[in-house]
Amino acid sequence: MERKVTSPLLTARLWLSSLGLSPEILACILGLALVPAFVREAYIVRLLAVSLLFGALAMAFDFTGGFINAVNFGFAGFVGLGAYTSALITVRLGVNPWIGLIAAALVTGLVGMFTGALTLPLRGIYVSLMSWFVGMALMALANAMVDLTRGARGLIVPPLFESASTVTHLYFLLGLTVLLYIGLRLIIRSRVGLAFRAIGQNYDAARASGVNPTLYKVLNFTLSSAAAGLLGGYYGHFVGILTPDLMDTWHTMEVMALAYIGGAGSLLGGVFAAFLFIPLFDSLKSLMEYRLIIYGLSLVLIMIFYPAGLAGLYQVVKTKLEFRKRKP
Amino acid sequence: MDLAMLQNFFDLNADVIQVALTGTLRGGLYALMAVGLALVFGVMNICHFAHGEFYVIGAYAAYFAHVVFGLDPILSIASAAMLSFLAGAVAEKIFFLPLRRRSKNEWVINAFLLTAGLSVALQSLFKLIWGVRYRGITQYWKTTFEVLPGMAVAADRIVALGIALGAIFLLWLFLQKTRLGRAIRAVSQDERGAMLVGIDLDQIYMLTFALGSMLAGLGGASLLSLTPAYPFAGNKPLISSWFVVTIVGLGNVSGAVLGGFIVGIFESVAYFALGQGWQDVASLGMLILLLLFKPTGLFGTQIKSVWER
Repeated sequence: MERKVTSPLLTARLWLSSLGLSPEILACILGLALVPAFVREAYIVRLLAVSLLFGALAMAFDFTGGFINAVNFGFAGFVGLGAYTSALITVRLGVNPWIGLIAAALVTGLVGMFTGALTLPLRGIYVSLMSWFVGMALMALANAMVDLTRGARGLIVPPLFESASTVTHLYFLLGLTVLLYIGLRLIIRSRVGLAFRAIGQNYDAARASGVNPTLYKVLNFTLSSAAAGLLGGYYGHFVGILTPDLMDTWHTMEVMALAYIGGAGSLLGGVFAAFLFIPLFDSLKSLMEYRLIIYGLSLVLIMIFYPAGLAGLYQVVKTKLEFRKRKP
Repeated sequence: MDLAMLQNFFDLNADVIQVALTGTLRGGLYALMAVGLALVFGVMNICHFAHGEFYVIGAYAAYFAHVVFGLDPILSIASAAMLSFLAGAVAEKIFFLPLRRRSKNEWVINAFLLTAGLSVALQSLFKLIWGVRYRGITQYWKTTFEVLPGMAVAADRIVALGIALGAIFLLWLFLQKTRLGRAIRAVSQDERGAMLVGIDLDQIYMLTFALGSMLAGLGGASLLSLTPAYPFAGNKPLISSWFVVTIVGLGNVSGAVLGGFIVGIFESVAYFALGQGWQDVASLGMLILLLLFKPTGLFGTQIKSVWER
């Protein structure tokens, strides 16, 4: 039954939902945007900005892990590569940090493409192993090239904005995260995204129906790495100091735990998980010690008992509520 | 060749011999760890990322047995092996058994993520319980062996190599000659068929995981004088043994023994030639190049099924 859309409100809603923005999500964005108007404490604003950054990272991670079902276990290495690229270009060549950010995304995307291409003939778990090795090689490089990166002594990175107020960071990260979400979501909803999911669910069936797994895998890896590089570049300018530690595997674990607790293949699940966990850990200093235990155990429990994660839980609750509403 | 000429030969090639010796001694540990990894992967299809944590359990156990309870070296190492065997069995019961009940198609990736979570959780737990203090000993045995003229090696290292080779040999005997060992091999070849002939899969899985963990724990215990026990001690052996397993082809148990020595010698050559920082870069670079040209590893693998998932 065709129904003509007349109401402008409905048109707007349809247009928004084609971008993946539901009223609930818009409300969250608006709520975040309004926080600085009411909260004066820089500490809380900064906490929200950090949560956003981690949420965005989890989203970039999920783009690979949740869709083509290949875990980028060297994710932190890619983030660090972006951070160092932007920082080094800015520090050593004196280039504008904004250009550094773009370069970070490009370089990391290229390395991601290389890694994806390296795993061409192989599948599944091999991608994780290979990306892990590439990530560790990147960290080893950052550690070894002391002349360039200053190694463990740390590289001072100039800020992105002249007046470095946390509110600016919050708004910039909010915009970046929303744009990243819309972009990734548009890809997921397109034919390309369909191919991603087909590869993730059944490699052979996807290949039999004419999907070129190699091409899509490399494409996916390139995009996800570029996003990781961009966010990493931003991280460097945001924090102001870089050490190769950033590329350690346990940082990958942190992002990975957020993405899977949020729910694989949900994109936004990781963002919600980040807003749940990061402020919690930061506000309760006593929990900080247990942070990795909680992350690790959550990952273990999620894998055993509820692989759908928070996003799956949200869907279940939502369906239940709608069902109840429909009943007279 | 008279003695003077021999001496001359050793003097000229002292560095080469030194490097080869260090590599071989190191390779023993890698072989031991890698065999455990390959076994767990081959039988259970688990990409085990918490293998290093069982190495640490072994190291702590040996430390407490030897230093706190004052047991003699061999008893300490044996009790460490037993403890890590038990820890492996318990971990399998608590974590992998319920996962196997629930997860079917996604097993490989879910099990891998589970071990990753377990690794982080265990590391932090160790840190919480014992702090970041290094707990090591100077040596188990006070003697040194003069393996070559003018080249003395601590007895600990020789014994550790001996333990590694002995354990691998015993494992081989067990897998080849005993009923249980044959059952393990049957499960690795055909899970369903093994079940049909009446093999208790849960029991075999638990035993396999426990054996793999024991090998790791044995490594940690026997090398306590070289690398002290601390929460993150497992990272380096984990990475190196993954290295070995990837190089020889995942799941190839016998290849892992040879691979262990290849990687050990390569690392010690790289360390000698390039120094601390670049050694890791060289190893990882070599691995990436190898995978580029020979993705199934040096010796290939029979376990194809895992790639299909």
